[in-house]
Amino acid sequence: MEYNGGSVVAMKGKNCVAVAADRRFGVQFLTVSTDFQKTFKVHDKLFYGLAGLGTDVQTLSEKFRMKTNLYKLREERPIEPRTFAHLVSSTLYEKRFGPYFAEPVVAGLDKNNEPFVCSMDLIGCINFAKDFVVAGTAGPNLYGMCESLWREDLEPEELFEITSQALLNAVDRDCISGWGAVVHIITPDKIITRTLKGRMD
Amino acid sequence: MASLKPGEANLGTTIMAVEFDGGVVIGADTRTTTGSYIANRVTDKLTEVHDRIYCCRSGSAADTQAVADIVHYYCQMYSVQNGEAPSVKVAAAMFQQLCYTNKDALMAGIIVAGWDKYNAGSVYSISLGGSMHRQGFAIGGSGSTYIYGYCDATYRDGMTVDECLQFTKSAIALAMARDGSSGGCIRLAVITQEGVRRIFVPGNELPTFFEG
Repeated sequence: MEYNGGSVVAMKGKNCVAVAADRRFGVQFLTVSTDFQKTFKVHDKLFYGLAGLGTDVQTLSEKFRMKTNLYKLREERPIEPRTFAHLVSSTLYEKRFGPYFAEPVVAGLDKNNEPFVCSMDLIGCINFAKDFVVAGTAGPNLYGMCESLWREDLEPEELFEITSQALLNAVDRDCISGWGAVVHIITPDKIITRTLKGRMD
Repeated sequence: MASLKPGEANLGTTIMAVEFDGGVVIGADTRTTTGSYIANRVTDKLTEVHDRIYCCRSGSAADTQAVADIVHYYCQMYSVQNGEAPSVKVAAAMFQQLCYTNKDALMAGIIVAGWDKYNAGSVYSISLGGSMHRQGFAIGGSGSTYIYGYCDATYRDGMTVDECLQFTKSAIALAMARDGSSGGCIRLAVITQEGVRRIFVPGNELPTFFEG
């Protein structure tokens, strides 16, 4: 899990959720790329992030794209966040004895626009949180930052600030995360995506 | 040869020293790590062993601190017993003796640089195994691997102080951008007959390059 590096975080706000990740892709201590995607959109009200081994992040994102496209064709409606979380969990547990080295965070708004976040370990144990979830090499650092900064009922703009600061300062204490960040805020009407320039070291 | 023990503090590092006519310029990043956690982001890796002799430390934080302390002691004894400051070569030889004899237990990559009245500015690089090499400029630490090409292409004999400072600052900034174990800020020092001038470059004032 510490081979490529990278961290993700998701937080609940008032009728909104935020998902953020750093942008580094490296091979142990060498940084190879500063625009590696770790956050993915399922549909306009559901995002997820994947932290861990780069190849598994990419493979899983393609698997989930296929599974959710088929879901939409069969069900004729977009997938709910809670359902998607279980889909991710099953996909990971299928490989219980030879797992994908990736830890997901899921964030979205359900059909009643209720915020939803959860995270999982690499074999699919779901952690339903009522505040925030973290994953990746700066996970412990993110726990500290989120615990201090998060409060209930943050408006979208406030949530953006809190999420950005939590991520930026957590990855600054981790050698293998950082080199930029991307933050998505999901509200019932729109998605706001901002790319942050942090410390590039 | 030794390696870092689990949990041991590591000066991942990029260190550098450049000779010029009249002295030396030395520089280092400021990151210390334990595993991937950044234990200290404002470390001082430029350590005085005598009035006009400094060493740049890379490798195990504990090993290099211990060795530098011992050499500092030896240099003080030398100056008392011989009535004059040791030359940079002598200080480097003291480091070499310790690093070579204890090569199995230590992980220390050190660059010794300074000014003395016999040879003006000198830079000596001491490798992990304990070999000593006098060079016009020396780079060390894990981050140095990323800047060999840049340094070879940019270095010229007979640069001025300011050119050396710019060269050192840019090289270290490039290494910090690519190496995970190097980062934070840059500490520089100019050592001449007049004394030691220390310069601190905060993270937001680093020279910037292509950032992909």
